[in-house]
Amino acid sequence: MTARNRELGFLIPAALLGFLGIATVASARTDTLELGPLPGAIGVLAVFLAMHVTLRLRAPHADPYLLPTVGVLSAIGLVELDRINPALAADQAVWVGVGGAAFIATVLLLPDHRILENYTYLIGLAGVGLLLITMVFGTRINGAKLWISIGGGQTVQLGEVAKVLVVVFLAAYLRDKRELLAIPTRRVMRMPVPPGAALAPVLLFLGACLSLVVILNDFGTALLFLGIFLAMIYLATGRVAYTGFGIGLFVIGSALVYTVVPRIQERVDNWLDPFGDAQGQGFQLVQSLYALAQGGVVGPGLGKAFLVREDGSTVIPVLETDFMFSAVASELGYVGGVGILLGFLLLIQRGFVIAATANDGFSKLLAGGLTAAIGLQAILIIGGVTRLIPLTGVTLPFMSYGGSSVVTNFVLVALLLIISHRTTAGNTPSARRRRQAEAAAERELDAA
Amino acid sequence: MNRSIRRLYLTLAAGFGLLVLMLGWWQVVAAGDLRDRPGNIQTAQAERLIDRGRILSADGRVLAASRARRIKGQRVFERLYPQGTLAANAVGYVSDSAGKTGIESTYNRYLSGSFGTEPLLQRLSLKEKRGADVRLSLDTRVQLAAEQALAGNRGSAVAFDPTTGQVLALASAPGFDLQQAVSDFDSIPTEGSPFVNRATQGLYPPGSTFKVVTATAALESGQYTPETTFDDTGSYATPGGPIRNFGGRTFGEHTLSTALTNSINTTFAFIGDSVGASRLGGTMTAYGFGEKPPIDLPGDSVLVSGRRDGDTVLPNDEDGEDTARIAIGQERLTVTPLQMMMVAGAVANRGVLMAPRLMETITDRGGAVVQRGAPQEMGRVMTAENAAQLTEMMTNVVREGTGTAAALSSTGVTVAGKTGTAESSDATRNQAWFIGFAPAEAPVVAVAVVIEDTSSTGGVAAAPVAAAVMRAAIEAR
Repeated sequence: MTARNRELGFLIPAALLGFLGIATVASARTDTLELGPLPGAIGVLAVFLAMHVTLRLRAPHADPYLLPTVGVLSAIGLVELDRINPALAADQAVWVGVGGAAFIATVLLLPDHRILENYTYLIGLAGVGLLLITMVFGTRINGAKLWISIGGGQTVQLGEVAKVLVVVFLAAYLRDKRELLAIPTRRVMRMPVPPGAALAPVLLFLGACLSLVVILNDFGTALLFLGIFLAMIYLATGRVAYTGFGIGLFVIGSALVYTVVPRIQERVDNWLDPFGDAQGQGFQLVQSLYALAQGGVVGPGLGKAFLVREDGSTVIPVLETDFMFSAVASELGYVGGVGILLGFLLLIQRGFVIAATANDGFSKLLAGGLTAAIGLQAILIIGGVTRLIPLTGVTLPFMSYGGSSVVTNFVLVALLLIISHRTTAGNTPSARRRRQAEAAAERELDAA
Repeated sequence: MNRSIRRLYLTLAAGFGLLVLMLGWWQVVAAGDLRDRPGNIQTAQAERLIDRGRILSADGRVLAASRARRIKGQRVFERLYPQGTLAANAVGYVSDSAGKTGIESTYNRYLSGSFGTEPLLQRLSLKEKRGADVRLSLDTRVQLAAEQALAGNRGSAVAFDPTTGQVLALASAPGFDLQQAVSDFDSIPTEGSPFVNRATQGLYPPGSTFKVVTATAALESGQYTPETTFDDTGSYATPGGPIRNFGGRTFGEHTLSTALTNSINTTFAFIGDSVGASRLGGTMTAYGFGEKPPIDLPGDSVLVSGRRDGDTVLPNDEDGEDTARIAIGQERLTVTPLQMMMVAGAVANRGVLMAPRLMETITDRGGAVVQRGAPQEMGRVMTAENAAQLTEMMTNVVREGTGTAAALSSTGVTVAGKTGTAESSDATRNQAWFIGFAPAEAPVVAVAVVIEDTSSTGGVAAAPVAAAVMRAAIEAR
């Protein structure tokens, strides 16, 4: 069976899950089947089929499990959104359409990801630039300045887009400098220290990103960027010492931030004792834990948990973005929650397999970095709503409500699939390169 | 680089492993505790959706039930209390704002259908969301008699079957309307503390009713029989000052039995010193003093009887204490009506103390019995012979002593009992007591009655209430 047939085969249960889900939600709501969300669901299915067909045409050797897994997670996310508020689900379905278009565009326009290596610094600057734009023009929502208003009441979260750019930049840069970084030239206090010339730009870059994000008051994204950075340094150098050093710096930095920034103190205090201020600062987390406990082992079923009050407001504030995982786990119980976790685990497992089998350093670093980004982001937010770590407001990939997140993550998956395809198909020079090469050959011929 | 990739994967996988554990903690291990937390709106909502089980009385009256209502197409339930104020503190209420009390709280798991495999079956839609019915041993006829007899007073009257421990009445006055408590809690006037269940939470000096405990210690010591003679000079000297008799009377030569009949303080004070702290305290312990009575009401609404220093309960048998004053029910001794009912009950049941309980059976909606309340012995307090002798002595109290108002002569039933009047410096603020049981030969009911803040004595204020309760209990059989 070819990879693409396998993919199509696995998309079927994902689609069934989605349709069964909206049917369950509809029946829980009115005791009768209503057709409201059906066109949207069919639309989303068509988007996934279009992505599948694009892969069939342009990346036939790509990993067959990624897209169905993304399909399952998206389906559950959409069904849960439909259950929370059908209007949000309709919105999100459109965003999945846009994400699908972005996915297809990426696969069509970027036949070989290695072209990206040519634009290392441009991409890095673009990443910082997006954050700068957010800082200057951003709208403040809930204390954090993460969104850019683009008219019509729509907002874009550029931090999400910056995430992918940061990974691409780091992959390209570290690919260049990894030998330099891996072989320390001197030691300071028994710590191996790589040459400053190689380390400085990347530290500068990281510092710029982090300080911008901290200015934006978005510590979730800061933490995510730092995690991605440490993961990729480790991938590039294989040196635990750097990562350890980074984590040490992080702990010291965190302690500093904790003492200086009151918002962070609140977050950490709530984490340590959410029930201490259950009606105030700890409200979200406590409500999340109550919802989880109510879900129990098997959960009451889709549409049956107490997530939305009679007036339409949600029991947990910002349920549809930060607390999507709690919503699903409350309805589907521990079984459903573990299912979602396994879904993400499968996703990153495929991502790392793609990284491990890739042919060259840049591909490995890019695939590994993108995968780590998804995994870390999922752990950050799920860990936050389950009180494993302090709560930070990053989105749950493929499931949270929000266009920027969906579109970015779809592009991210497209990149992974392109890398996967190139592993088997071999690298091809881009059309431009081919034209340049042909022109050069012609010139040589002419000269001769 | 592949080694690094594998390690990074394993690190992230370990992260997901931690999430699986953490999620399991909240959804499985700690889920019950979280659901029970006050203010959990998930639980409140779940309870609105469940057809909560009924609470029934022994005589088949519905004390609490649920009625379905439709709000925006959703079926929700509201709680009804058809008997209104009857046994309000024992039945308890379920309220979003004020929480749960009484039987509604103790048997919440059963009433809300979250026991055994029920939640699982309900979630899998194999069973309807319905709670089990709880039938109490409480009899509305006895309860009503108790509440009517208490009407206008503050106090408590409690009754149980001394041979089984089945509680027949648990009255606390003033009461409140349970329906009002669930509909508009704050509108209930708090004057007279109606939410204090005086039967289990009211702490009063026991006064002379405690002489039954001292008499038990005396008989059990082997040094005394009902015929042992004493000579009363009207005063008994202790390091804490002389102890005198009620009304300043002097009784001269008399027997132990007479001492109980006439509630002679000097004699019981002497006995207290003579048997000593360890024996008197041991008898108290055997009667259940110093420990929470094991009645099936929420733990925070049942208080320990015994000697207190502030909020601390002192050991029953501390050396160097004024045993003479303890023996006549003074010296920082505070007790609940429930505890004094247990004292009467142990004498009635030939010396064996039965654990008081309210629940009779828990039945699921299919009619299957989920749980059955079984008589439970708390232990032997005295020998059967001593119990028979004490019964005889207590019978004299009602026949010719301070407790004649408790007699049920018209029905031909012999009553055994003991009065008590815990005096305070303000003569209008005495606590009037009566404890007893009937029929004396084959007891079916043991009672304890306390009336707060009365200028009257136990024999006058409390004994008639006890008579009414015992009559109702005997008639209800």
